[in-house]
This record gives sequence, structure tokens and C-alpha cells, in this order.
Amino acid sequence: MQKEYIHIILADDDEDDRLFFTDAFEELKINTKVNTFADGVALMNYLNQPDAVLPDVLFLDLNMPRKNGIECLDEIKSDEKFNDIAIAIFSTSSSEEHIEETFVRGANIYIKKPSDFATLKKVLSDVVTLNWQYHTSGLNKDNFLMRI
Amino acid sequence: MKLHAFYKSPTFLKSVFVVSIFAIFFISAVTFKHINLLNNSSKWVTHSYEVNLELERLFSYLKDSETGQRGFLITKDSTFLEPYLHAKEKIDRSFKIVKSYTKDNPLQENNIRKLEFYINKRQNYLSKTLHMSLNRSLSDEQLKEKMIIGKLTMDSVRSHINEMILLEKKNLIARELSYKDTIKITPIFVYITLLITLVLISISYIRINKDLEKMQVSNNRLKLLNESSSLAEMVGNFGSWQQDITTGVFTFSDNIYRLLGCEPQSFKKGQDDFIKFVHPEDRHTFEGLTSEQIDNKNLPAFTYRVTTKDKKLRYFRTTGRIVTNKMGNDLLIGTTSDVTDEVLSSLSLEQQNLELEASNKELLAFNYVASHDLQEPLRKIQTFISRLSDKEYDKLSDNGKEYINRILSSAERMRILIDDLLQYSRANKTEKVFEKVNLNDLLENAKVDLAQSIEEKSAVIEHESLPKMTVIPFQIQQLFINLIGNSLKYSKDNVPPNIKISCQKVTATEETQIPKNTKDKFYKITFEDNGIGFEQEYAEKIFILFNRLHNKNDYAGTGIGLAICKKIVENHRGFIFAKGEPNIGATFTIYLADN
Repeated sequence: MQKEYIHIILADDDEDDRLFFTDAFEELKINTKVNTFADGVALMNYLNQPDAVLPDVLFLDLNMPRKNGIECLDEIKSDEKFNDIAIAIFSTSSSEEHIEETFVRGANIYIKKPSDFATLKKVLSDVVTLNWQYHTSGLNKDNFLMRI
Repeated sequence: MKLHAFYKSPTFLKSVFVVSIFAIFFISAVTFKHINLLNNSSKWVTHSYEVNLELERLFSYLKDSETGQRGFLITKDSTFLEPYLHAKEKIDRSFKIVKSYTKDNPLQENNIRKLEFYINKRQNYLSKTLHMSLNRSLSDEQLKEKMIIGKLTMDSVRSHINEMILLEKKNLIARELSYKDTIKITPIFVYITLLITLVLISISYIRINKDLEKMQVSNNRLKLLNESSSLAEMVGNFGSWQQDITTGVFTFSDNIYRLLGCEPQSFKKGQDDFIKFVHPEDRHTFEGLTSEQIDNKNLPAFTYRVTTKDKKLRYFRTTGRIVTNKMGNDLLIGTTSDVTDEVLSSLSLEQQNLELEASNKELLAFNYVASHDLQEPLRKIQTFISRLSDKEYDKLSDNGKEYINRILSSAERMRILIDDLLQYSRANKTEKVFEKVNLNDLLENAKVDLAQSIEEKSAVIEHESLPKMTVIPFQIQQLFINLIGNSLKYSKDNVPPNIKISCQKVTATEETQIPKNTKDKFYKITFEDNGIGFEQEYAEKIFILFNRLHNKNDYAGTGIGLAICKKIVENHRGFIFAKGEPNIGATFTIYLADN
């Protein structure tokens, strides 16, 4: 069955960021369904439900209580049923270590959280409408970090 | 040369000694022989005289007997008969003596036999004449005849005796001649031998004297060496020792005792006595030598604690080596040094290291705080303001709009500050991966990074070809970005920035700015612009963190960019210098070591 919307999930412990995120998608004229989770444990509990609707794109914050983004990334990448999920790292940090580590562990794109709303909207729009198949096949460390 | 070498060798003295002994034996043998010869010849002289004397005596006895007989014949007095009778006896005895003297000489024996014959004949005539005279049957005629015969016989005896004496004399002369012959050559021979021996002994004496002098010199040198080594031990806080491995006997140098706070040689030279000073927990390190160590001829250095006589805790380190001496004994020789200062300073260094590591970790944690925790609230402030200005801007009063704009610019400034600080701390990072890269590529990347700003200001960047170098690529790229960015930022209003980048290979000696003792070859890269420049007096100040020459309202900036440049150049063991002239421009010169 062809979905008529794009399913998006954000795992981020910061309430403000979740608010910006949902607001941005509300203002974007893209047909999306956005779910948010406050930490890695909540996210994984949802994903591991047998009847869970898996997202098209998963936005992962790195620094979260209980289970952080890296742990979630590892769990998702080790389970074949999550193969179709595109994973975008969504972090305040743009340190080389974090970029390198998440790239090696199999994330699809790295986004540094922008510091104004207009840019946020543009970034999210770009990511959601990205041709993942094309992006993933040509993925390398240079285009892994999304230039804003 | 060979002779000289022989003279120098120890066999020389031995040979001289042997030769001298032989010479002395030879001389004594010759002397002994001569004394013997002398002795013999004097015996022979005595012998000849004795024979002659006895012959004379014999002849006089014969004469006596004849005189007695004649007296009797003339006087008929029987008293004349007495010497005649006595003489007969004496003649017999004397003849026997002569016979015994000459029995070893065949010629003389022959003479003796003849002499005996004539003496007997003479005696017979005497007694016959006497007998006839007693019987009165002797006529004058007969007497005369007998007397003539007697005289003739007597003449024969005389001539024989003379002959014998002559022969004896001849023998004596012959013996003396042969003795003289023997004695004539040998003294010269002995004399020469003696001379040679004397020369040899003299040479040996010189040689021994020289050796003695040499020994004294080397003895003195040894003494000096001993003293200086003992002084060195005192100054250097160490002592030496040796142990005979077979007997286990130790010899300690004086300073070992001093290190232990004792008087030199104040306790017995045993390991047991030494171990009493060693900290009980460290005594196990002294357990015997392993066979492996003996095979390797090496006693690895070990450190232990010692309590000196005055109850001070010191650290000693001992090391040694096994050597075999000329007698074939294995000796363990070694040194023991007081390494207390070393150990204490290394302990404190270790402590400092730990502290440094801890503070480094703290710094890393701070970096994280700066990169993440500080950025997050700032980013949210900025986002909220951006939402406010997007959605509610129209509803605000003019004052409100002004405030919003000021908050926006302050927040932006704070973001730049945090970003720059992050970059500065990243330039400090310990992990430095050097790669050989083409600097032209890094420059192109830098230009791409600054593309927007270059376009805005219509800047012109000219550059010469840059070399390939082994550098930390992202840092050099950052260096280029900061230097070009600096020129773009401090450009003159309405004058498009013109940045000239040149590069040449130089040596440290021909450049006045860099220390002469540094590596020889450098790449000198200069960034020259036509911007606002600066007073030369600030040329060094501008590289200091947070140091700014301009009001932040005139020129945005954090005062971190050039500090980062300096840090990066220092990471590459290079140098950076600035030269400025107000309203003309600034020149930044970097020297990167060519390795």
C-alpha cells in the first residue's frame, strides 16, 4: 500500500527542540506525519513493537538520557527490519569525533541544528525530500555532513 | 727492530740471566782447571828436585863406601870399614827411594835398571877387593887392576846419574812448556767471557732501571687515577665494588661506606653486612645471581631503598658486569649510586604528569561544554528570537524592534566567539596527524570556504604555486582561511581587497627574523594585502588571544583568529610574523620547516 504521507520520527530530550521541529513541519507544505520521543529508550520501545509503523526518516539527537543516540543507532543498524529507515543525526555538536563516529556506524546524514527558524525549516525540507537512494549510494564523508 | 723488540721483551732479562750463569760456570771451571794444572806442575818440580837430590845422595853414599874401603886398604884400620858398611845400607835405601820416584817413567826405569847394574857391579868389586885384601891375597898388580875397573864402574854410575838428572830436568822443562801453552790462551778467553757477561749484566741493569722508572711513573699515574676516581665517586654520589664469584668475597670502595653514612672500611666486606642497611621489603632483590645473568655477563640495574646509619631513607641503584681476570677468575664488578634525587624528582614528575593528565581531561570536558552545552541554550535563544522577529515583528514598537535587533547581533557575536574558541582549542589538540599534501589544494579549499565573502567584497587573490608539504591538513587550511579572512575583514572601504600570496624556499641563516639554530630549510609564505594595516608596534600583540586593535562595532571579530594562526604555525614548528603600515596594508609571513 502506497503511503500518502512521509512518516518522520524525532528522538530528542529537549522539549524546545521538539517544539521547533513540529512547528517547522507544520509550516512546511509537505504531507508528513511527525512523532517525537523524549529519549532513546522510548524510541526503541516504540520501534520494537510488532505492529509499529516504521518511519521513513528518523532524526536522532546524540545527547539523550537513558539511551543516547549512538546506542540507538547501533541497535537500529543491527536489526534487519529497520533497513529501510533513513537516519539523520540531529545534534548541536559539529565536532569531528561525533561526525566520524556516526558516519562509521551507518547514519545517512549529519545535521547541525541551525540557530534560526528559517534555516531549520529549509534543512528539514531538504532532508525529507532528499532522494535517499541516490544520496546513500554516493555517500561519503564529504557529503555526510549537510551543508547549511 | 727485531733486536729492539727482543730488548724490550721480558725474555731478554731471562736470557741474560741464563747466559750469565753459564758464563760464571765456565769461568769457574776454567779457573779450577788452572789451579789443578798449577798444582800439578809444582808437584812435578818438587818431584824432579827430589829425584835429583836422592840421586846426588846415592852417589855420595857410593863415594862414602869407596872412601871407606880405600882408607881400610891403605891403613888396614877397621874403623874405616864402618862408613863402608853403613854406606851399603844407605845405598840400598836411597836406591829404593829413587826407584819408587821414577817407577812411572819408562825411560827413567830403564836408566834405573842400568844404574842398578853398575852399582851392583861397583859394590861387587868393592867387596871382592875388600875380601881379597882381608885374606892378604891381593897383589899390587891385582889391586891396581881392580881399582881401575872400580874407577871405570864409578864413572859409568856417575854418567848414568847425570843422565838421569838431565832427563828429569828435560821432563820438567817439557811439562812447564805444555803448562805455559795451556795457560797462555785461557786467560784471554776468560777475560773476554767476563767482559761479555759484564756488558750483558750492565744492559740488564739499565733495562731493569728503566722498567723500574716506568713502573714508578705508571704507579704514580695509577695513584692519581685512584684519587680522581674516588673524588668522582664522592662528587657523583656513587661507589664501586667487586665480588669474587667463586669465593664470594666483596671489596667496597670508600664511597660506598660514605653513601651509607659510615666511616670508610668500617664494617666487614660482606654482602650480609651491606644488606643490613637495605629496606626489609627490598632485600629480596639481592637474592643470588642467576646462571642466566652469569651467561649474559650482566647484572641488570635495580633500585632499592636503604636506611643509612643516620636513619635517612635513600634510594640506591646498583648495576654490574661479570669480567674474567688474568688468573681466570670470574669477578662481578659494579657500581652503586645514590639516586634519591632522581627517584624523588621522577616521582614528583609522575605526580605532575597525573595532574596534567587530569587537567587535560578537564580541558576536554570544558571543550565539550563549550561545543555542546553552551551552544544549545544560545541556539535556542537565537531560534526563539528568529521566530519572534518573523512572526511578531510588526506588532512590536520601534523600541522593541531595536531591542530585538540588538539581541540578535549579541547572540550572533556570542555564537562566533564560541565557534572561534572551539577552533582554538581544536588547534591545541594533542592528536596531530601529519600528511603530505599539496598546499595549493588547501588554499583552494580555503577560498571555497570564503567564497561568499570574497564575492561580496570583489576581492582579488593572486598566488604563486605552493609546495607539497607534510602538515596537519585541516590546520593549515584553517590557517589560510584565517589569514585571508583577516585581510578581507580589515579591507579599506570602497577599495576591493587585493591579496598577494608568495612562496619561496629559504634557509634559516639568510633570514633575519628566525633563530639561526633552527632547521636549515624553510618555506616562507607571505600574505600581503592592501587593507587598513596597523601600527607596527602592535605587530606582536595581535597574535595574543582576545587581543583586538579595533572596536568590535567597527570590525566584527573575537581576537581569536590570529591566535589560532600562531598556534597552528607553532604546531608545525614554524614561525609567524606580522608587518603593518596604517592605510597601506598588512603582511603576514609564515615559515614552515621543510621536512
